[in-house]
Amino acid sequence: MSDAPILAVADYTLDYRTRLGAVRALDTIELTVGRGEVVGLVGESGSGKTSLAWAIMRALPANAIELRGTIRLGAVDLRAQSGTDMTHIRGRRIGMVFQDPAASLNPTLTLGAQFVEALTTHHGLSQAEAWSEGERMFARVGLADPPALMRRYPHEASGGEKQRVIIATAFACRPELILFDEPTTALDVITARQILDLFLELQRETGVASLYISHDLAVVSQIASRVAVIQRGRIVEQGGVSAVFARPAHAYTRQLLAAVPRADRRLVAEMSGHGKQLAAVRDLTVRYGRPSLIADLLGRTKPMVTGNRAISIEIRWGEILGIVGESGSGKSTLARALTGLARFEGSLLFDGKRIGGATDMTGGYRRDVQIVFQHPDSSLNPRQRIRDILGRPFRLYGVPDGRPIAEAIADLLRLVRLPAEFADRFPHQLSGGEKQRVAIARAFASRPRLVICDEVTSSLDVSVQAAVIELLVDLQRKSGAAYIFISHDINLVRQIAHRIAVMYRGELVETIAPEQLSTHGPTHPYTAALMAAVPTIRAATTHAGGTS
Amino acid sequence: MSEVLARLVRSPQGAIGLGIVSLVGIAVVAGPWLAPHDPNAISILARYKPPGGQYLLGTDQLGRDLLSRLLHGAQSTVIMAAIATLCGTVMGALIGTTSAYVGGRTDDAVMRTIDAVMAIPSLLMSLLVVSMLGRSQANAVLAIAIAFTPGMARITRSVALAVRKQDYVSAAIARGEGTAYIVMGEMVPNVVAPIIVEMTIRVAFSVMLFATLSFLGLGAQPPTPEWGLMVSEARKFMHLSTWMILWPCCAIALVAIGFNLLGDGLRDALNPRT
Repeated sequence: MSDAPILAVADYTLDYRTRLGAVRALDTIELTVGRGEVVGLVGESGSGKTSLAWAIMRALPANAIELRGTIRLGAVDLRAQSGTDMTHIRGRRIGMVFQDPAASLNPTLTLGAQFVEALTTHHGLSQAEAWSEGERMFARVGLADPPALMRRYPHEASGGEKQRVIIATAFACRPELILFDEPTTALDVITARQILDLFLELQRETGVASLYISHDLAVVSQIASRVAVIQRGRIVEQGGVSAVFARPAHAYTRQLLAAVPRADRRLVAEMSGHGKQLAAVRDLTVRYGRPSLIADLLGRTKPMVTGNRAISIEIRWGEILGIVGESGSGKSTLARALTGLARFEGSLLFDGKRIGGATDMTGGYRRDVQIVFQHPDSSLNPRQRIRDILGRPFRLYGVPDGRPIAEAIADLLRLVRLPAEFADRFPHQLSGGEKQRVAIARAFASRPRLVICDEVTSSLDVSVQAAVIELLVDLQRKSGAAYIFISHDINLVRQIAHRIAVMYRGELVETIAPEQLSTHGPTHPYTAALMAAVPTIRAATTHAGGTS
Repeated sequence: MSEVLARLVRSPQGAIGLGIVSLVGIAVVAGPWLAPHDPNAISILARYKPPGGQYLLGTDQLGRDLLSRLLHGAQSTVIMAAIATLCGTVMGALIGTTSAYVGGRTDDAVMRTIDAVMAIPSLLMSLLVVSMLGRSQANAVLAIAIAFTPGMARITRSVALAVRKQDYVSAAIARGEGTAYIVMGEMVPNVVAPIIVEMTIRVAFSVMLFATLSFLGLGAQPPTPEWGLMVSEARKFMHLSTWMILWPCCAIALVAIGFNLLGDGLRDALNPRT
């Protein structure tokens, strides 16, 4: 850093006015981003990362109260700027890339028009100049056939393509600073990897200063030169990436680092010998889509979408079977077929009995096979108290040992390490991790023999994820139930699975034991790509995206 | 319940709405006792009186006290309108939610039928029902309920479709719950908020529809002090006394506003997340 920083936030404190009084969102924030520097801002949800981004962009919600501090962009005091002044700064001097590319593009304008608009407003280019610049930039960010893509609408492009367009727009305006707010979180693993590589390349080329906000420590360790760790609105630690990740000074940083899944740290005991078969799936195929009545009458048939194609796999008693793959690979479809939520073809053998479809799934099967969903917000009915949610399986399948239901519910809550008083609460009064524990408790109420965990930790923060995984492993040991553990995070699956099944585009490409994965490496190229795409913490080595 | 009430009173629209609806409720329950005069007592000497003196709101073309007629009329107007709306809402909500849950061909069939029924204007529909079943207040209630059902079913279905995609419904199916429990236990409680808002707006429409039926001689019959009937009777004498038409109109408007505000307040109060 030769001269004054591009962005300097000093002593910045922000409150939100709520019905319950003022809530501190940011507390005496001190943060600088130098010329050509990438600073990572790491924190869990609710830590104030995004609030800081909005404060820099001067787009705070109406109930925000700025108590003190300054935000400077070069020599300009952003807090002193009027609304119209800020419109000249936004886009031209500060760019922003959001988490969800689908939500940050206007669905009624073509991708080209949105790119052109940014350049004509901020740099006074003519339509034609901006259009040809667009074609050049689209090619630069690795988009195939830029002239055609520029005429397409957002819904005609994939998530990765949309995020590339947004990044192209942000870089094309040549701002001094770009804020990235979790730009890869909404994308699947391999696309995210490509976007990260693109970011590094463009950043190196243009030397623009970046503030990269993320919850993912591994991503930040790979792209940032300095990192700031934020906890409940306070920056607890900041410094060079290698220093912070190799020798974290603050307890919170250490806790975060410890919670990151590492493939070489196994959390489960190995299976003793070859277990007996619990369930076997042969040539399971799931097709989605239903022709409408009118299309049917007109004799038009639409091809159905295949969710799963001829999957064959078996699950043994007490085994944890991990299933990994990117989004759209058919992992959840398999879970939905096994729980009777999706119609399937092929055969399913459970405990020796043949299950041909949802109608064959009797009370006994339903009791033995339970599912835990990804989003606890969605899987717990917001109008029911925890007592009613947990009481339902008991009413359906009966209470073990004929005890009163209230007692059984209290036991169940204790089993997932929640206080028994939670029975009186509504789901919205619980945190994300607590809600997911309730969902897990509900699955275990019927004493199942197979529990399907469908991305159960994906919506949770990394430290909460570690606690939930530990709970699941503990429950598995106590109950002896088999798990089908579905995740996009191959490192996490490698920690807890006895066998790993890799899925790609609805097909099962490989089933492999984690030991074999560590010793011999993957046999299928897709597994190799998946392993390469998942970022791992890079602390000791020097990194590429530093200052020049 | 008291928790919802406390939240309701805390919001300004909820407090005002609750106040107005309570006033209407008092008029409905205690109207006949509060009325200073006999609503049907004719007094030839005191016709077309403006408000004031012995007659607080004035008198009509036959010298009947308007305040007493309004207070007596509250019962026939508001209760009937509310019952009709409630019946229509319950039927519509059940049809809409079940249709959204079952989906597929059944959903197609139900919704296309509802489209066809909705093509008939609700007034025409109620006229048809009343003329088929015979004129009486009970049949008018039924007619309005049937006229409201398709609209409510459609609104409920659109909300229920979003609820259908929620994982708690999937979880219930995976658990092996029956259709009745999933619709009543899991889905209906989550579609109730928009339904209540819609229902309160429809109470006002229902009052109007009732008045229209009375006007056409198919609902309440003179000399019943029904508000809609009072408005249509007063139309002929508007140039002699504006008050005659103003007060029943105000009463209808007050009920409409009151129920609307209450609906808004309830929407917020019933949602435990806000």
